[in-house]
Amino acid sequence: MGITALQNGVKVLGFRAYLFRRAVSALLVLFVIISFNFAVFRLMPGDPSSLIIDPRFTPEAIALLRQQFGLDDPPFVQYVKYIKNLVTFDLGQSFTSRRPVIDELKERLPNTITLFLTSFTFTALLGIAVGVFAAARRGSFAETLVTGAGLFTYAVPTFFFQLLLLLLFGYYVPIFPIHGTISAPPPEGTWAQLLDRLHHLVLPAGSNVIIGFGSWALYTRNAMLEALSQDYIITARAKGLSERAVLYHHALRSVLPPIVTLVFLSLPGLVTGAVITETIFSWHGVGRYLVDAVLQQDYPAAQGAFYLIAIAVIVSNFLADLVYGLVDPRIRVAGENA
Amino acid sequence: MQLKRWIVLAVLAAALVLTTGIQAAQQTNVRYDKWGPKVDEIIMPIIKEPEAQRIAFERGETVVLPGLTRPEDIDRIKRNPNADITMNLGFHMFYLAFNMRRAPLSDLVIRQAIAHVVNRDQIINQLFQGYMLPLESFVPQSSPFYNPNVDSYPYNPTRAREILDKAGYKLDPKSGVRIDPKTGNPLRKMYILTPTYEVAPTSAELGRMIAEAARAIGLPVEAQPMDFPTMLEKIDIFEFDMYLLAWGLERNPTFLYDFFHSSNDVKAGYNTPGIRNAELDRALEELYYAPDRATAQRAANKAQEILSREIPYVVLYSRPYIDAWRKDMVTGYIPMLGYGAANYQNQWTTLNIRRRAGEGGTIRWLLPEEPKNLNVVTASSAYEFEVLGRIYEGMYAIDPVTMQDIPWLAESWDVGTWEPAPGKKGTVVTWHIRKGVKWQDGMPFTSADVKFTIEFMKKNEVPLYQSRWKDIVKVETPDQYTAKVYFGTQSYWHLYNADFPWLPKHIWEDVKDYTNFQPWLEPHPTVKGLTKAIGTGPFILKEYKPGEYVRLVKNPNYWALKPWK
Repeated sequence: MGITALQNGVKVLGFRAYLFRRAVSALLVLFVIISFNFAVFRLMPGDPSSLIIDPRFTPEAIALLRQQFGLDDPPFVQYVKYIKNLVTFDLGQSFTSRRPVIDELKERLPNTITLFLTSFTFTALLGIAVGVFAAARRGSFAETLVTGAGLFTYAVPTFFFQLLLLLLFGYYVPIFPIHGTISAPPPEGTWAQLLDRLHHLVLPAGSNVIIGFGSWALYTRNAMLEALSQDYIITARAKGLSERAVLYHHALRSVLPPIVTLVFLSLPGLVTGAVITETIFSWHGVGRYLVDAVLQQDYPAAQGAFYLIAIAVIVSNFLADLVYGLVDPRIRVAGENA
Repeated sequence: MQLKRWIVLAVLAAALVLTTGIQAAQQTNVRYDKWGPKVDEIIMPIIKEPEAQRIAFERGETVVLPGLTRPEDIDRIKRNPNADITMNLGFHMFYLAFNMRRAPLSDLVIRQAIAHVVNRDQIINQLFQGYMLPLESFVPQSSPFYNPNVDSYPYNPTRAREILDKAGYKLDPKSGVRIDPKTGNPLRKMYILTPTYEVAPTSAELGRMIAEAARAIGLPVEAQPMDFPTMLEKIDIFEFDMYLLAWGLERNPTFLYDFFHSSNDVKAGYNTPGIRNAELDRALEELYYAPDRATAQRAANKAQEILSREIPYVVLYSRPYIDAWRKDMVTGYIPMLGYGAANYQNQWTTLNIRRRAGEGGTIRWLLPEEPKNLNVVTASSAYEFEVLGRIYEGMYAIDPVTMQDIPWLAESWDVGTWEPAPGKKGTVVTWHIRKGVKWQDGMPFTSADVKFTIEFMKKNEVPLYQSRWKDIVKVETPDQYTAKVYFGTQSYWHLYNADFPWLPKHIWEDVKDYTNFQPWLEPHPTVKGLTKAIGTGPFILKEYKPGEYVRLVKNPNYWALKPWK
């Protein structure tokens, strides 16, 4: 712990001190977010019971509902209960389903993670491969094609592209399921069920890959081009190394750290990234849950989902900091010229 | 009156058929069985995205596409040779509300003038391509309590100008705005609140159209689209001049009391226009506490006459229920006045629908939203009742054409009076329960379940059923098949207040916290394969896989599996 060395006149923290600082700052950010999370729903116009515009609910019935929801407690009492519950991971009960929010999130999280991890893995692999390919063929038609395709898929609205796929492979060439994660009812047998799930994953994950690979390809291409212009690449070539070795062993290796960091920074998308995809393909995930909860002013559900996202973002950033700290000591700089 | 109503319905039906080309708008020769079901299983895939819903229907992955509203969808399905469309008048109204607390809208003349510039035909043709029904009355035509003999304000801008001129609202030719005779100043700007174009494009456009028409006669009206919760909050605290919204209504016209009685002119109350009229209050009280149907009818007529004269709302149109069916796959879907063919309240389709391939087997029935909560005591969304409505039943059913009550779990009933206190009259509803009705686990359905359910609802102050239990004083069970429900007040409507989604006592008596009870997730204590979400209805909840599907199977213990009398 503490300051351990001076490097070139710059005060540098030990790794543990750096880690501690980051952890404290992450917890502070989490506290601010959850407090904001509490306030924002109460500042929104209307309340959950005001959205129940059904003649079956008399004003007395609405008052009873408010009492059941705990909405008639003073805001401070609600806040204290809220913080207490979050600490114990009791995310409360959804106003609309009357089920514990944590149960609902647990039920949906595996679907979101499956969709995201599949999409993410294929998007990143395809994007990096295409980016390296384009960088290696600078000025060629292939590079123009890759750059153009990357820009196009990056720019095309997700929902529009996914609706087109839905129409194409759901209706004109009906070879893929158009909703859900499994058939209703699912087939018998573990392998049949696994294949069924993969079949359902093709359209949502495939569309995410097509839409997402462009940004990875462009990022990798640019990073690779910069790396390829460095002196050590010229040296490598001068040494007579093969172009393949130069490309993969020297240039690609040097751009991997920022790409790895990018991977960690993309992790919050585990929860949030799939909102549109989940909606269009009726995918039972957390993104859609959040949207529904916000629209229905279901405070506990929305707060629970945001809490999960906040934790995902903070942990991802923390991991990114960690990786950066490990690979690049300059990041641990705490101050200048003691 | 009844004949007149039928004429109105026939004319509307003809108009729908002519404008939309859809058959069965209003059928008087509907044939249906009171027994069933005729399929073994209903799988309800949950598909939320409208395009995916339509594609699933076209692929035959659902035999029904319920609640069509988008003209482009209706037109596309009309071109599908395998599809049939049913259309029924609905208990629904879309309206423009006035804030009668605020000048100049407190002046009847201004409200009359605005009513005269509303061009319903143009609205329906331009915004809905003919798929809505013009509505002027405060009770929709599909209701047996509809009164056609009320003041009417047909589209007539010339008449609107005359009314304003006569009342002294002279037009300032320079500004194009009328002068308020009381103040001598130009009329202040008035706003129509609507949801935004993104949320409800037709409502927002409708606001613009009405505002434009009002400006053309010198009334400075602007449409003001806004975030929907903000709009609702402003309405709750009376911060509005006018707004556009819809009501989903019920068969019985007691909603008139909720919407227009002066006691409901409170913040967040339903009397948003703030109408306070002693004559109307009397009529509404007579309606709400009518001792018999004739009194209720008379009071409903009177209330509609006063409302049409006072114009707290300009009622614009009613949305019919439009449902599409795969006629190559199924038959036996029953059009029903007020609810449509596919709605859960139409138990006739549930009992009669069958596969073209023959009786039994599985059909797939679309659920457009997640039925999150299958606890019948706390469930509130229509999608939840799309499932629960096939598991639970009431004491009476509704005839799909005449809207009259049909004995169901009760073989018959009596409505009488008693004295809750000296000199005070209350209603007693006596249910004579049908013998042989069983819960889905095979236990008999008896008066003990009726007594238990009502006392459970009252003891726990269940909000959803508050209007039903609030006046109930006690329940007596003279024998296993008779339940007497005593109300502290007298009202014809208590017959309907005495009906609930009945709960099996042997399951629910151990429930301590009904708000946290998840009967669909808890296994039945004695019968394998069942959950605690059991009713007396034709289908049993077999499986609910959130986000994917609901699976219902035929109830082998159903009391109406065979024809009965």
